[in-house]
Amino acid sequence: MAISLQKGGNVNLSTEAPSMKTMIIGLGWNARASDGAAFDLDASAFLLQESGKVISDAGFIFYNQKTSACGGVVHQGDNTTGEGDGDDEVVKVVPSKLPADIQKVAFAVTIHEAEARRQNFGMVSNAYIRIVDEANGQEIARYDLSEDASVETAMTFGELYRHNGEWKFKAIGQGFQGGLGPLANNYGVSI
Amino acid sequence: MGVSLTKGANVSLSRTDPNLSKILIGLGWDARSTTGADFDLDASLFMTLADGKVPSDNYFIFYNQLLSPCRSVEHTGDNRTGDGDGDDEAIKVDLSLVPQNITRLVVAVTIHDAEGRNQNFGQVLGAFMRIVNQENDAEIARFDLSEDYSTETAMVFGEVYRHNSEWKFKAVGQGYNGGLYALCSQHGVNIS
Repeated sequence: MAISLQKGGNVNLSTEAPSMKTMIIGLGWNARASDGAAFDLDASAFLLQESGKVISDAGFIFYNQKTSACGGVVHQGDNTTGEGDGDDEVVKVVPSKLPADIQKVAFAVTIHEAEARRQNFGMVSNAYIRIVDEANGQEIARYDLSEDASVETAMTFGELYRHNGEWKFKAIGQGFQGGLGPLANNYGVSI
Repeated sequence: MGVSLTKGANVSLSRTDPNLSKILIGLGWDARSTTGADFDLDASLFMTLADGKVPSDNYFIFYNQLLSPCRSVEHTGDNRTGDGDGDDEAIKVDLSLVPQNITRLVVAVTIHDAEGRNQNFGQVLGAFMRIVNQENDAEIARFDLSEDYSTETAMVFGEVYRHNSEWKFKAVGQGYNGGLYALCSQHGVNIS
């Protein structure tokens, strides 16, 4: 039974899924039912040091830079509408491949062309992030963002992080007014 | 400086010198970098009699009442954002000045307007509460609020208490449903 996280909550993945080798980080949202431009949400990941910053821009994984140098984080591709059930965008993570100086991987979602399309997360329904064990398809944890949606256009959904030698996941759901720019800057990436 | 006390454990503060017992209770957290209402954590302290209640409202030390009547407990002021390194709020205690009938000092941390702002400790970066023995600068206990109390909004950190003519500190580390209001009621403080 998957653990449902509330904002700020965290779960110990090493305890809940000790044999998990490859994590599927799935992001999903509902396609737009009302009239207007489609909601195009983009998943990204930031490989962070203890300082909370990337080592270099190569630590920013997104649809135009899909694989991390270590091979431990791989973006599975862009979904531009949210069509289809289940996860709309997926990032696969193999924690054992992450170098020792990577302490956290932050998973963010941004709305493509949010300003031009005048969209924000408040308008998107059923946004969530979840962790699935690739080996057996079992959902380990989920964080549903629908309650916390807001006027932001770029948001950190959650974070995978090391704590006392174990891997944990924390539900964050906090964003940046101004979009991808401020969010990326927060992690030390210049775009 | 490592944590030497785990939740539930206690330590004698006056072991080395029964007359000098200055301690500092420190609360720290990172200012918010994401969009939204600031995280405003508040440290407070209840000076109670043996029955667990304050003798009067003057013995509830918090940002609007910084100094106890006996001047043994002093809150150094409200920090509403977490700006600044190290301890953002601190409560200093001189145990040698605490009146005899006060047997416990209950230390709490709460998030201001947690319900209105829909916040909890887990959303705050780097939130901690600690107690330092100022006599030897030893950090007696530290709790990581962001990690271990992530879904809580109010917490009893610990108690400094008299035991057989010594002062001791017990690490409690329990979340408190009901926030500051409930904490006050429990300790006999009237808040409007």
